[in-house]
Amino acid sequence: MTDDIMQQRRAILKGAISASTLALVAASGLLLPRQLLAHWPKNAFNAETVEDALLALLGEADIADDAALNFKVGSPPSYAINGASVPIQIQSDLNNIERIAVLVENNPFPLAMSLELTPAVSLPIKSMIKIREDSPVIAIIRAEGKLYKTSRFVEVDIGGCG
Amino acid sequence: MGLPRKDRIRAKLKSENTTVRVLLAHPMHTGRAKDEADTLIPAEFIQDIRCWRNDEEVLTIKCGTATARNPYFSFQLVGGKQGDMITIRWVDNRGAKGTTETVVK
Repeated sequence: MTDDIMQQRRAILKGAISASTLALVAASGLLLPRQLLAHWPKNAFNAETVEDALLALLGEADIADDAALNFKVGSPPSYAINGASVPIQIQSDLNNIERIAVLVENNPFPLAMSLELTPAVSLPIKSMIKIREDSPVIAIIRAEGKLYKTSRFVEVDIGGCG
Repeated sequence: MGLPRKDRIRAKLKSENTTVRVLLAHPMHTGRAKDEADTLIPAEFIQDIRCWRNDEEVLTIKCGTATARNPYFSFQLVGGKQGDMITIRWVDNRGAKGTTETVVK
């Protein structure tokens, strides 16, 4: 009988210890980055408005409209013959850029891509996106905890979200 | 506009920085387009692209459906030397994977 109780007590103690160790490890942030990075931010990419996408991707934050961010869309700039592949280029003099997001306001799902940079990466970054119809295209940079945003209106001849 | 048969990558040392250019061979179907028989083409697009320089992970790109077909990226890596190994790995929403790598020239 006493043996039985001791056994139970042991099991409970063991459980408590491992749970608290896990909590400690989690709180210390050791587990965080890798696991967060491994996750595709579904809510952000499936959001149907720019506001929702940003909220899901970056959380609540004030965004500064800023000339520090040089953003080119289309070729010639602000014009695209074929919306299925519109060149974009992002250039900036900001230091310690952590993240870049590109959004197309009038697309069914505005968030086009989100880049997570390490200090080993420097700008400019170039890529191609799809734009369904004439729409503002927004680039957002997070650097040193601040957000910078630049928007360009792009005219599209043939929509590219087919 | 056919698909290139395989992923392409170039990395070149230019004024102390490494310029990396990547072209992935992927249809990037959004799940909204229809084929000739008027049936929807199911979504199939790259979600996650990672770039390594030697053993160091330097860049993660998350893509939505609005990334163009045959995704193209060009970016700079600070420093670097000839002979560095640049590796790109991608995963799409169906779990298909690809790896492509090159040596910095």
